Amino acid sequence: MISMDVQKRLMGADGPMELDIQLQLEQGQFATLYGPSGAGKTSTLRVLAGLMKPDKGHVTVYGEPWFDAQKNIHRPPGERGIGFVFQDYALFPHMTILQNLQFALGKGQNSDIVNRLMEITALEGLRDRKPPELSGGQQQRVALARALVQQPKLLLLDEPLAALDLETRLTLQDYLFELHREFGLTTLLISHDVGEIMKLSGLVFQLADGRIAKKGPPGDIFLPKRVSGKFQFTGEVLKIEREEVVYVLTIRIQNTVVKVVAGEAEVRSLQVGDKVLVASKAFNPILYKL
Amino acid sequence: MNRLEGHISGIEVSGGMSLVTVRLTEQLSLRAIVIETPDTAPYLVHGRKIQLMFKETEVVIGTREDLPVSLQNSIKGLLQSVETGTLLSRLQIETEVGPISSVISSNSVERLGLRENSEVYAMVKLNEMMLSE
Repeated sequence: MISMDVQKRLMGADGPMELDIQLQLEQGQFATLYGPSGAGKTSTLRVLAGLMKPDKGHVTVYGEPWFDAQKNIHRPPGERGIGFVFQDYALFPHMTILQNLQFALGKGQNSDIVNRLMEITALEGLRDRKPPELSGGQQQRVALARALVQQPKLLLLDEPLAALDLETRLTLQDYLFELHREFGLTTLLISHDVGEIMKLSGLVFQLADGRIAKKGPPGDIFLPKRVSGKFQFTGEVLKIEREEVVYVLTIRIQNTVVKVVAGEAEVRSLQVGDKVLVASKAFNPILYKL
Repeated sequence: MNRLEGHISGIEVSGGMSLVTVRLTEQLSLRAIVIETPDTAPYLVHGRKIQLMFKETEVVIGTREDLPVSLQNSIKGLLQSVETGTLLSRLQIETEVGPISSVISSNSVERLGLRENSEVYAMVKLNEMMLSE
């Protein structure tokens, strides 16, 4: 169990703000911090990573104190056993992919882990290449693999996929989920992408003004109302076209694109890029064995 | 999408499914079948306020009440407007429980001689009715 109860006064974009976060993560959990910019998401990760020292409170990880204001404990980042991946990859440009991963090995650590990570993230073919020769998605795969070389107790991800195009993002989500499962990681992700959160995460902490405003499974957070339709997905509106007296909406649901017919009343409040709940009765779809 | 509000007046459960009766007025009740039971869906409670939702493309239009069809969900109304396209037409119907939209073929509009102020019956199969809190 990872348990955090910290307070810190921060200078936000709109003046001072009180970060006041209580959260707990079970081992093996994949949780997400969600909320507007300036709500305290990155500060929360930085506190866990040891890059920011709170004013008050404690951070306890599997019984070990990482931070305790009263006992004056503040374990430095290097001694916490965390993996941290940001939006920019921060790889060593002059080293090969293999060297980048080997550099992250601890003293005397068996290098088998590097091979295993390269296997899972399909980096073997790129091992002798250098980061500037790689695409953004490939570099982020390296950054992800590197963060896991030391088999961290806690993996912290600060919008790691936000800069990538949609297709690459969807592929990396699969790698991320596979790594999380394979290594039994405890992962805390910052993401604004509801589809991504629904796909990866089992628990969401919704932050507002430095506090946790809401927490629960993604379905409870993002699906505003309970609807009886059993055929339910969250999607993103890609296109809205008028066809005679109805509208045809093109909607991305995970990595599939579907079309939905809608009336004017539904379309009036929608625009391209909006997240939507797509619901139908279980009675409607037909099935074909493939 | 059409949305009507009523109160749950009956829940008939069999296995994992429930046939839910929603009372909108003294005279008008509509029914929905859902793959939920009061054990799995906390909103399935007698007397609870509930929304019935159904797509305009699932609304069948009849011009008489006593048609020999299986549909039981039938709402009487007056046609307010007809917006005609080449293939499809959108009908706006004023009923005692609020406006209902229906999208049917333009051919059927013509065949049934539907025009403003026609008296119509909007009908919906019970498996097309969704419930929402």
